[in-house]
Amino acid sequence: MKINNLNVGFNKKEVLKKINLDITAKKVTAFIGPSGCGKTTLIRCLNRMHEMTQGAYVKGDIFLDNTNIYDQKVNPITVKRRIGMVFQKPNPFPTMSIFDNVASGLKLNGVKDKALIQRIVKESLEGAALWEEVKNELNQPGISLSGGQQQRLCIARSLAMHPEVLLMDEPTSALDPIASAKIEDLIHELKKYLTIVIVTHNMQQAARVSDYTAFMYLGELIEFGKTKEIFENPKKELTERYLSGKFG
Amino acid sequence: MTKLLDLGIIRIHDLLKNMMSLAEITYVDAIEAYKKDDIIPKSSYKNSEKLRMLQEEITELATELIARYQPVATDLRFIKSSLEISYNISRFGRYSFDIVDLLQESGPLIDCDKSSVLEMSKTVMNIISICFNSILTQDTKKLEELYELENKVDIQYKKFLRDIIQNQKSLKNNFERRDSINCSLTSLLILRYLERISDHACSIADSVNYIKTGKSSPRL
Ligand SMILES: Nc1ncnc2c1ncn2[C@@H]1O[C@H](COP(=O)(O)OP(=O)(O)O)[C@@H](O)[C@H]1O
Ligand SMILES: [Mg+2]
Repeated sequence: MKINNLNVGFNKKEVLKKINLDITAKKVTAFIGPSGCGKTTLIRCLNRMHEMTQGAYVKGDIFLDNTNIYDQKVNPITVKRRIGMVFQKPNPFPTMSIFDNVASGLKLNGVKDKALIQRIVKESLEGAALWEEVKNELNQPGISLSGGQQQRLCIARSLAMHPEVLLMDEPTSALDPIASAKIEDLIHELKKYLTIVIVTHNMQQAARVSDYTAFMYLGELIEFGKTKEIFENPKKELTERYLSGKFG
Repeated sequence: MTKLLDLGIIRIHDLLKNMMSLAEITYVDAIEAYKKDDIIPKSSYKNSEKLRMLQEEITELATELIARYQPVATDLRFIKSSLEISYNISRFGRYSFDIVDLLQESGPLIDCDKSSVLEMSKTVMNIISICFNSILTQDTKKLEELYELENKVDIQYKKFLRDIIQNQKSLKNNFERRDSINCSLTSLLILRYLERISDHACSIADSVNYIKTGKSSPRL
């Protein structure tokens, strides 16, 4: 993906200033930075979710392959299908079974072929490393699962749409360390066929899972580069100070 | 508020300082023993051992800091480098001890020409000073000079080696040969140890450069 001169805000308030960034396909890109610097806002722009908030505006372009996802002619629904999202708090549909949670997107998109739906649900749960744990209780409600399992269920729900990009906004911040580690392992598996963008306030997590890291501060992109470079040898003093816990 | 990681880093600095003064003493003692040809310093072995223990302490501490605090940026580069720097300093001690050990085997060298070794030992002392200073000040300005001196040491060593081979060939009788072999072998080995020390000093210089710039090795 390519972010070109992105300016974003709410009503009169400018939240992101002139963001330019290339997100490499089939790699993990992490956004880090202190609370309120605009990470969530930026990631929500990447699948046109930001504009759904009252008063929100977006200026600039974001390309997925050669399509400008902000082009008039582009359908935001298509964008959301190609670019899935997982949130901070696992949010399975509370009234739906595990199976229906994963199948929901397919059904919404008019897929009727039961065998096909079944196959995709199984593949998606496998892809989210959840299949073995739930294969005998697919009819149980999604919210009966543990927090970590619910988060993987949400990942499976996204995977069912066969997205090209998966956006994750602090996907482990509500999880215990073991459940978090499972998500991190999963991210490593998923990047074999997906582009992943992850927002995290856990710097060590960024260091562990990402190939590229973007450091943001007060709505600006301060530094972007290979994760090893950013963590071992940051070019900007602000980055160094943030990473070493000298502020924020 | 002092951060726990910073306390660990300060401790590594202190250990490195200890290592540097001990290594310097061990080196100076070894060269003095060679020069004066009298008392063999008894402390050399103990110092060399102590240096090795300090190195181990740094390794333990650095590993613990990395595992516990997951340091980044300058902190990470310093801690990572302290592993190599301490190893290299411990080698200064080890080679100084090797010199002393050799003097014990060779016996008095009163009739030997010591000029080559003594000359090189001064250059190496200079190298050690620049090297230790750069660790203490994290200043890379004088490192160019260090690299040049090391190069000089290398060339001197190789030249001596070639000369010795030539000389041995031209000696006339076994008598002459036996006398000179003791001198030249001792000189050659000491020069070799000195060459090794300056090589380790270069590795330290590389580490200091890395801490400063994040670049691995500026040398070509
Ligand atoms: N709905 C909203 N209306 C107005 N301002 C908002 C809204 N959501 C977020 N902001 C502001 O946008 C800025 C960036 O927020 P956010 O993107 O959530 O930061 P981060 O995810 O890095 O913590 C903050 O100053 C926040 O107050
Ligand atoms: Mg956020």
